[in-house]
Amino acid sequence: MPNLALGSGLSPPFPSAPRADAEIRLEITEEAGVVGPPGEPLRVVSLADEGAVVAQGAPVARLRDHAGTALVAPMPARVAHVRMLPGHRLSEIVLFHEAGGDRVAHKLADGGSVRGLMQGAGFWPLLGRRPFGGMPAPDEIPKAIVVMAADTRPLAVDPRLALENRQESFAKGLDALAGLTEGPVFVCQSPGPKLFDGRPGGDRLRVVNCGPRHPQGLPGLRIHDLFPAGIATPVWDIHAEDVAALGELLDTQMAPETRLVHVAGPALRESRLLRTQPGADLRGLTYRLALPGAHDLLSGSPLDGRQAHWLGARDRQVSVMPRENAPARRHWLWAAMARSARPAPVIPTAALTQAFGAALPATALVRALTSGDDEAAMALGVLSLLEEDLALADYILGGQARLADLLRGMLDRIEKEFAA
Amino acid sequence: MRRGLWDRETVAILLVAAYLPLALIWIWFEGGDAALSLLLILLILAIWQLVFLLLRAQAPSLSAVATALAIAMLAPRELGPLPLILGVSFGAVMGELVFGGWGRNVVNPSSVALAFLGFGFPGFDWPEILLPVAWAAIPAALIGITLGVMPGPVILGAALAGAGGLALGLDLGEVLPAASVVLVLLVGDPVTSAATALGRWLNGVVYALLVTLFATGWSGAAPVQIAVSAALLASLAAPLLDEAAIALWRAQRRRRHGRP
Repeated sequence: MPNLALGSGLSPPFPSAPRADAEIRLEITEEAGVVGPPGEPLRVVSLADEGAVVAQGAPVARLRDHAGTALVAPMPARVAHVRMLPGHRLSEIVLFHEAGGDRVAHKLADGGSVRGLMQGAGFWPLLGRRPFGGMPAPDEIPKAIVVMAADTRPLAVDPRLALENRQESFAKGLDALAGLTEGPVFVCQSPGPKLFDGRPGGDRLRVVNCGPRHPQGLPGLRIHDLFPAGIATPVWDIHAEDVAALGELLDTQMAPETRLVHVAGPALRESRLLRTQPGADLRGLTYRLALPGAHDLLSGSPLDGRQAHWLGARDRQVSVMPRENAPARRHWLWAAMARSARPAPVIPTAALTQAFGAALPATALVRALTSGDDEAAMALGVLSLLEEDLALADYILGGQARLADLLRGMLDRIEKEFAA
Repeated sequence: MRRGLWDRETVAILLVAAYLPLALIWIWFEGGDAALSLLLILLILAIWQLVFLLLRAQAPSLSAVATALAIAMLAPRELGPLPLILGVSFGAVMGELVFGGWGRNVVNPSSVALAFLGFGFPGFDWPEILLPVAWAAIPAALIGITLGVMPGPVILGAALAGAGGLALGLDLGEVLPAASVVLVLLVGDPVTSAATALGRWLNGVVYALLVTLFATGWSGAAPVQIAVSAALLASLAAPLLDEAAIALWRAQRRRRHGRP
């Protein structure tokens, strides 16, 4: 039985003005950016020259070390800029919307695999992997796949809304996903009616209920609880809406044009629930919605979002936060005297326990992270976690402990030392 | 608000707030001398915090107020200023400040100071904990547990084990007031008590068992002396209890998943 009690977790308060209308708008921004998943930039070969016109779903870049894995245009567009970092690493490909453009069909060739179809149709960056994060290697076979049909991040929209009237596609997508692994496929959902018809994936599919509080709806805590990731046991996670889109890809041969996105935050006049293209321009989505004054646009939730120009590959939230004033400069003497107290020690409290959903020995994990004890942290299940899973703990500790940064450093170290 | 509140100093403030009922009742019954001794101890702690701030760039903490209260309430009576300064200095420096300040210490500085004073100056009488003061430990524990700054299982585990001892007919009536106050002030310290769920329950039970053992087998010991000694030993056992709890947790996960 899962260890996560349904009542554990926290509900951090982030105010947001209510939605002005109940309908879900379609909002295609004039600009969009194709970027890789967060983390190490992808090494790619650009397939589109600046000024070229590309159809929706057409590949605009491919991985240098695996030509079959592509990044695709989220809309019919003209390529405005291709920006690369040293070492053929992708910074961003900026697209300008071209009205009335074509869509590219992605056929499942005879003898072809769903894996190849997903890689060619731009679905690969939608997969997350643990341990270490990032996009799975093209030939990696996961030991389990977790489908997230629940989201407990602050201001997140219920994924059930994105799955309305898509039960059949969702079931088809689940069936296709089950073909990528020989292990179990977990569907994590908020309690409620069944999200799909039939028995896709056979006996290997398991439905798991999540509680309403954060971090119960995070893939990391779910993987930690259901099927811990390890160096030899990679586990993938994917959002339920992307699974439904995979089902539609298999049916219609078309990559998804839009995804359901919640635009919310304390610096908005009203929140909006809208369908927009992947990689949408965040300024375009919040135009005329933001309150006067400086604000930050985050791709992601207020807890784990990143300041960005474009909607992230796996993000379904845009958070608009008032810009914080730079902290007042402390007197040089006081700053010098207090410097060794950083990072500040973490005091074990009930809030810290709940920030990890009471699913693991939180204090022991925090102590292992702050002291850099890789082996102790691995024994406590750190390989199932990513930065987003520690965002709530960082929030409740006032941002002083910088646990997410410590975790990234530790994961990089473990990857170098243990997984080499 | 983009940041939570549970940094070290917020926890220290809430812990002091939880101790307020205990402090007020104690001062009410003990009078001005008690308040003066509290201020003197606070002054000594503040001086040591300032020394470590200047020498080791170590930020001071309001937890010194909780430390001062525990020492003032539980230190032997009529010590005089020099032994008190020595004991408080030893406890604060060796029990907390050399480890990097509150949050990085492994034993409670109050326990260290009290043990130093008790063993170093055995001729002085230990204080008697009055019943109303002991009753005030209950609201203090309730506030601390409700705010999440005191480990509830430690206090509940000790209370349940103590109740079990009473039910078995053990004569714990004399030591109970001191044991309750020490439980809240020293054993319920969030930093030095066990940090895992099972470890916390065990920590409370170990404290209660040690109090019972000393109360029944240590002839001539004062109730506060018994409780402080039990608290010191229980806090020394806390890391071991945590290790055991984590080993058990890992064994359960290994059985369920085949790996930790």
